[in-house]
Amino acid sequence: MCLAVPAKIVEIEGQLVTVEVGGLTRQASIVLLPDASLGDYVLIHAGFAISRIDEKEALETLHLFEQLGNGDYGSISGPQD
Amino acid sequence: MPLPFLDDFRDRSQVRALLGELNARLEGGPVRRVMEVCGTHTMAISRQGIRQALPPELKLISGPGCPVCVTSNADIDRFIEISLLPGVIAATFGDMLRVPGTRMGLSQARGRGAQVRIVYSTLDAVELARKNPESEVVFFGVGFETTAPTVAAALVEARAADLTNFHVLSVHKVVPPALEALCAAPKLAVDAFLCPGHVSAIIGPEAYLPVAEKHNMPCVIAGFEPVDILQSLIMIVDQLNGDRSVVETQYNRVVQPGGNPAARAIMESVFDPCDAEWRGLGVIPSSGLSIKREFSGHDAGEKFDIDVSYSREPKGCICGSILTGVKIPTDCALFGAACNPGHPVGPCMVSSEGTCAAYYQYEI
Amino acid sequence: MSPDDNNRILLGHGSGGKLTQELIESVFASRLNNPILAQMDDAAIVELQGRLAVTVDCHVVSPLFFPGGDIGRLSVTGTVNDLAMVGATALYLTAGFIIEEGFSIGELERIIDSMSEAAKEAGIQIVAGDTKVVEKGAADGIFITTTGVGMIPAGIHISGSGARPGDAVIVSGTIGDHGVTILCQREGMNFETSLKSDCAPLGRLVRDMVDASPRIRSLRDPTRGGLANTLNEIASASGVTIEIDEEKIPMRAEVRAACELTGLDPLVMANEGKLLAIVAAQDAERLVDTMRQNVLGRDAAIVGSVGHAEGGKARVFTRTLLGSRRVLSMATGEQLPRIC
Repeated sequence: MCLAVPAKIVEIEGQLVTVEVGGLTRQASIVLLPDASLGDYVLIHAGFAISRIDEKEALETLHLFEQLGNGDYGSISGPQD
Repeated sequence: MPLPFLDDFRDRSQVRALLGELNARLEGGPVRRVMEVCGTHTMAISRQGIRQALPPELKLISGPGCPVCVTSNADIDRFIEISLLPGVIAATFGDMLRVPGTRMGLSQARGRGAQVRIVYSTLDAVELARKNPESEVVFFGVGFETTAPTVAAALVEARAADLTNFHVLSVHKVVPPALEALCAAPKLAVDAFLCPGHVSAIIGPEAYLPVAEKHNMPCVIAGFEPVDILQSLIMIVDQLNGDRSVVETQYNRVVQPGGNPAARAIMESVFDPCDAEWRGLGVIPSSGLSIKREFSGHDAGEKFDIDVSYSREPKGCICGSILTGVKIPTDCALFGAACNPGHPVGPCMVSSEGTCAAYYQYEI
Repeated sequence: MSPDDNNRILLGHGSGGKLTQELIESVFASRLNNPILAQMDDAAIVELQGRLAVTVDCHVVSPLFFPGGDIGRLSVTGTVNDLAMVGATALYLTAGFIIEEGFSIGELERIIDSMSEAAKEAGIQIVAGDTKVVEKGAADGIFITTTGVGMIPAGIHISGSGARPGDAVIVSGTIGDHGVTILCQREGMNFETSLKSDCAPLGRLVRDMVDASPRIRSLRDPTRGGLANTLNEIASASGVTIEIDEEKIPMRAEVRAACELTGLDPLVMANEGKLLAIVAAQDAERLVDTMRQNVLGRDAAIVGSVGHAEGGKARVFTRTLLGSRRVLSMATGEQLPRIC
């Protein structure tokens, strides 16, 4: 049950926001993500924003493969042990 | 116009390079069996043609990741009976419409006069209750931790707006207890878990620590694009090759340590853990979500007393073995013939993201 | 001409008497005016010589009015396109209307206006019609059935069974526009978009294509079931394998976004102003260039190729990003938005 799409918050009105993806817009609720701000990219699942998308981490994930030859993954591991 | 944070992770040259890297790490080594436990991963893997691109040293197995598929026939029958009651508007996500119960599915119930409405969001179901005060709106609460908070939010709103005609029939389930149950199963031949990216956005990577530590299972939380899945598989193989079993997050642009506390708080304010029956796996303790007493006025399970003693699971169906990765769809005598997407017999074919449905659509 | 509560269809309008007469004159005849229709005989008389193509289509689209068109426009373009797909130049259409009691006459007028416009665009005449009215609840507003007749020029043999190994697969433009437009209008979806249905008559485009290449094997318009269904139908009828490259398929960002949000596959979404062409490989580039000269073909692209049936099975595959192949099967039933 995981279909969620990255979209940009283009308008905020209390707990309702307007999000935009590919030129399409829809209202979504930020009840589950109260700190969301205008301009944030968020994941939309069934009409709710459930997570912010961290642009810095996204870039790192993409650049990561450039380091692949070294097998260096230290920087992207989450909490370990 | 590229779609932000999607197309970047579908770059052809990156994907080919990752595939090369994965192959290099696997070549000549032992066969590794990786289980994914998310229906959306099942679909993505099939649709992206990942299985066909992997070397024989890596087996990708689909586990019980489809919440529609693991909903018992009794629960489905219960919702269908409710939908047939006069004055009821049955609201559901599109995923549930073609699921066959023991006697019929929602589609057939609609044919018999049931008012069934597909909604994109639980808030649309609340709106239905608002617009139809003379009807009882009953929403089918199916889904894991990605979806349960959205249902909780709907219940909070309904109670605040005093919408006494809005109800939820909760058959929600949570993932970590199922993973533990799988690990405890004697026949499980799985070396590592590919963990669900969006469930993890809610529950956080910490939720998988018991699985990694107690059961020595590498756990990598993966996104859903080709780059994500391939990177995650590389991380898993690296753990296996290095004899480690830890929790790692590949999907760290979305999954934060601690997950989403606001979403969990809303979920915990509305739901209590309860034992739940997972089709094909049996009853798993504390793996379900039931509606708290404070919200019992909106609990369809409380309001409607339904007799589903006629519920039966279909015969000849080996979904239980498929959901635990012991068998694959083509091992089943019913697959493709008596059981197909147009006429599904068991849970794995029922949902479009079920293992058998994905195989049927993309791989045969 | 706006819908008015007092201006509604009554059962009497379908009973063949004075009310019917008034309706036909004021709503239909005035808008679909042409010499053949004006005869008002029980049957229209036309003279044709040569190979005739005949087709029929039933239209039950809901909602009746959508961005880019309405049921009236669709009923004309759909039938004109069916004829174009066998290489026929559409000439005459007939139209049957089943109208629900209580339907707004203002809306009916809008629909017939649309049909009239579409007919002019396509260069056809609507030469016969019939109207019946059914009780409230027995129809969803209005159902339209259109029959079309066209002439196939000598030497043209275009058929679904004509695809051969080595041929190229071409689409005339962006895929999924109509299906996704309708999806966004669906109750509860609440997606705001500037997307419009691509509903358009393809007769002229096909004539240009046929002039550019005598080696067009098959033409199909991917309506319900989209590209997936159409490709499978051709593969089956011709006994071949078809492979397409998903990265080459032209698609609007909004269509992709809507499909990502709802979990639907753009390859099964309907198109009402696009065509799929199977042509000999040597003519493919030239054909695409010709198509791009026409506004309805401006995004035309080669998207795949035809091969031998493997193991005796006629199937369709998609070449994925990873370089592997996966099966592209026909749509199974109603396309429903999902969250899983």
